[in-house]
Amino acid sequence: MPRSSSSYVAALLGVGVVAWLTSSFLPVLGLASAALLFLLPVLFTAARGGVGPGLLAALLGASAYNFFLLPPRLTFRVHGLDNLISVAVLVAVALVTSRLATRLKARENEALEGARTSRELAELAAALSGHPAQSAEARGLALIAERYGEIRLLDDKAPAEGDPAFSSLDLAAAAWAAHNGDITGHGSDVMPAADWTFLPLAPKNRRGGAIAAIARPADGTPRPAAQIAHLRQMCLQLGQCRDRDALEAERREREMLAESDRLRRTMLAALAHDFRTPLTVISGRLEMLADSSADAREALAAALRLDRMMSDLVGAARIEAGMLAPAIESVDLVDVVASADDRLARPPGITLSRAIPADLPFVAADPVLLQHVLTNLLDNALRHARARVTLTARRDGDTVAVCVADDGPGVPEGEQARIFERFARAEGGDRSSGSGLGLAIVKGFAEAMGMTVHLGTAPGGGAAFTLTIPLREAPRA
Amino acid sequence: MSRVLCIDDEPAILRLLAVVLAPDGHEAVLARTAREAMDVLARGGIDAVLLDLGLPDRDGLELIPAIRAVSVVPIIVVSARTDVSGKVAALDLGAADYVTKPFDGEELRARLRAVLRQGSAPGGPDAVIEHGPVRMIPSRHEVFVEGRAVALTPKEFAVLKALAMAGGRILTHAALLETVWGKAHRDDVEYLRVVVRALRLKIERDPAQPQIVRNEPGIGYRLQD
Repeated sequence: MPRSSSSYVAALLGVGVVAWLTSSFLPVLGLASAALLFLLPVLFTAARGGVGPGLLAALLGASAYNFFLLPPRLTFRVHGLDNLISVAVLVAVALVTSRLATRLKARENEALEGARTSRELAELAAALSGHPAQSAEARGLALIAERYGEIRLLDDKAPAEGDPAFSSLDLAAAAWAAHNGDITGHGSDVMPAADWTFLPLAPKNRRGGAIAAIARPADGTPRPAAQIAHLRQMCLQLGQCRDRDALEAERREREMLAESDRLRRTMLAALAHDFRTPLTVISGRLEMLADSSADAREALAAALRLDRMMSDLVGAARIEAGMLAPAIESVDLVDVVASADDRLARPPGITLSRAIPADLPFVAADPVLLQHVLTNLLDNALRHARARVTLTARRDGDTVAVCVADDGPGVPEGEQARIFERFARAEGGDRSSGSGLGLAIVKGFAEAMGMTVHLGTAPGGGAAFTLTIPLREAPRA
Repeated sequence: MSRVLCIDDEPAILRLLAVVLAPDGHEAVLARTAREAMDVLARGGIDAVLLDLGLPDRDGLELIPAIRAVSVVPIIVVSARTDVSGKVAALDLGAADYVTKPFDGEELRARLRAVLRQGSAPGGPDAVIEHGPVRMIPSRHEVFVEGRAVALTPKEFAVLKALAMAGGRILTHAALLETVWGKAHRDDVEYLRVVVRALRLKIERDPAQPQIVRNEPGIGYRLQD
């Protein structure tokens, strides 16, 4: 290597110059001072060039001192112990000085490297936080590419699949990096034979996410571990930048959703309001005629059903928009069943019987949603029953099971799975009078409250819907 | 024979209200805006107010405290809004009751009777409170339901008394809890559920199908007429 061979030459020259000087001016200098002068080339070459040149200077110096200065001069014969000591001192000085110098050099290099890496990280941070935000990632990548060679971002989905730049070993390394969050490929412990180094953008404990691929250095030298560690830091910064962007995008999306929800809610409320005003006039006028006219009674029932359909429509829209926010409280089923019953017109000739044990525990539910659920279940049963609808409630472990059964035609086996879908109508039954939304709302509201509902067959062959409601924990009062 | 101020922006609803109130002999005074309504109230002679919440010039919910500021006249909200929070807010602001559109004429007249009766309720320590089948003499802690004496615990008595004094008006859960248990328990609906269930076991013919103490889910309790 050029630097160390120049140090050897310098050692040679230095010793030569000192030997010439001392041998020329020996009478003036005296033997002791001359010996000391031989320390100079040893110190310089050891400090600059390290152990090898230092030792060379020491041995050459000792030899020259012996040959040119020590009597008998111009021989290598050694007289006394003191001369041997001079040689030993020169060698020791060479060793110690070179060791010290090497260590200092290493420290200095470390400090320089540290300063450089932190400067680079700061530059990267500046690039990533600069404007415009959309191109922050590109700026960061460009900065890394400029110093460390080609870099590519690979998304976690299918890392670099089909890219001719990556060999199958590279792809395996990329997949490993994406899956385990490890650094893989060239310069790492995992698949070091790969041509690229793969660095995850997320910290080690977070799996998945994008990884960066950095090409093997163009000059063919292996990447040192310190550089890999530095690149890792830079990739983590890139990852943080991406996370920030993702959070920001998520926040914007949430705001937009909230805004559209608000609009939708306002529109629905306005629609329901506008719809109910004429309906109130219609039903109010029909009610006055209902005592004397069967036609008016029928029309009144239809008008009231129209109102329930409107409620169903609003309810379905709320389910669809994910706007249900159930307010769960302690509810006595007796209350909710009674008020659901109040809302329903009983078709002539059909009885509704209720069996709710007096010691039935309270349930955890949103009373308004639960009322809507029970109203729809009862309405459905009343429309399909021949003569009788029964509502029974019983405790079942940590739940209360409410069963609404009718003695109607039931739901054919093949239709049962679809019955809770919107606008699903069983072939056999007369469902023309329903909104087609009632049971979809039953299911949607029930699930929003943490309940389940399923359809079975009543003993007489009619439909039997069972709603399973979680219990309220033991009351404190 | 009361004068009832009906406030609604829809003329067809106002005409309907006038017809619905007629069987009880009430005179309907009609107003289409909040401003008109306040003018009518300022002239006096109004016994009850039927208020629609969707008015062109002012939100009905704001109008309740505005009316309260000038008059103690009972207000019944008649609204197409069905959300529970809106109803509870109206009651908390001082409305005596509410009816949801489309309303049942009979039900509206019953609510109106209840609030008008409330206005002329007798006072005095020995007063007898009567509502429907319930007859209470608070000073002697006595309760009769359909003529038969019933023994109630103090909490049951207090709940029934509050409901009977409201005379068929709805009392919100929070209002009942505050009256009987105190302000700190406004949200402990469970206390109320437990006491109401015990109360029903003592006073209802069929506690599973309560006819006297009725609940409106999410809102409160009232005594049936």
